[in-house]
Amino acid sequence: MSGQARAVNMGKSTGNMMRDSALGLVPETLDHYMGLNRTIWEDGPLRPADIELARLRNARKVNCVFCKSVRYDIAKADGLSEDKVAMIEDDFRGSDLSERDKLILAFTDQYLNDPAGIGEELKEALRTEFTSQELVHLSMVVAHFSGFSRCAVSLGGMPTQLPIMEMSVP
Amino acid sequence: MGWISNGSDRRSTLGVLPEISLAFDVLYQSLWSQQHVPPAVLELCRLRLAQLHRCDVELHRQECPVPDAKRDKLSQWSSVRLFTDEECACLAFTEVYAMDAQALTDELAESVKSHFGDAGLVMLVEALGILDGMTRLSLLWQLPTSNGAQECAEQRV
Repeated sequence: MSGQARAVNMGKSTGNMMRDSALGLVPETLDHYMGLNRTIWEDGPLRPADIELARLRNARKVNCVFCKSVRYDIAKADGLSEDKVAMIEDDFRGSDLSERDKLILAFTDQYLNDPAGIGEELKEALRTEFTSQELVHLSMVVAHFSGFSRCAVSLGGMPTQLPIMEMSVP
Repeated sequence: MGWISNGSDRRSTLGVLPEISLAFDVLYQSLWSQQHVPPAVLELCRLRLAQLHRCDVELHRQECPVPDAKRDKLSQWSSVRLFTDEECACLAFTEVYAMDAQALTDELAESVKSHFGDAGLVMLVEALGILDGMTRLSLLWQLPTSNGAQECAEQRV
């Protein structure tokens, strides 16, 4: 992974994390990107703590240091604790997470590892636990945040470690 | 019909969440109208991702016309003298991105930037994130193969 940023936004600081990042170099898509981000957090049936669980699992798998360090305040307010976050590891199946939480992580792993290979057992478990709307929402959560993590990794300039940073949805 | 909902293609699957579907559609359409990377180059990258993921639904889809010869020879882009330097730079970047974004090198990024600048590189990685995501979802949702092309035709009517 490159320590040097591969694209730099030299524009005037706006105070908005996304606008001031390299993404601000493409204003034609940035507003739409931010619009989708907000609607994913606010307009789907999954709770913020569910969304954060999937987002953080993806962040760990893709190894986006920025994404791993962020905690969204609405997920924390919804009950996502650091104790729970600590269980989002590869051995999550043996953890004290609820079965619903484990299914969110299993779905995220399936998307990342082998989307074509999803088995009947996992599909049945997902259909039993979640509505169609929730499953489509979870799909878009994982696709959106995975794309965002990969974007950050691809553009380089990633530190090796960052402290936990709590923030609001931009 | 996929297993996840009653939808038979991407549009009808996303349709159970109208607000998210609309916001996604606006973003997706903006990829094909921005000025930083030519849409035909993005389409080649999208098709290459579909090939690498072995996703027939996305291979049958067409977002932007590309010459048949380039479509036919896309998997051999690095060895046939059919693709421009700009296309080769973006396809090389796409292939490594598809395998592991952490494996991308500064040289691959510089090659894209030499043609499209910093903004072009940002545009490419943004687009790859969305296109790779939709390819993975087509596979995960197990959408029927014939519906990618049909969906595009319906959107153009």
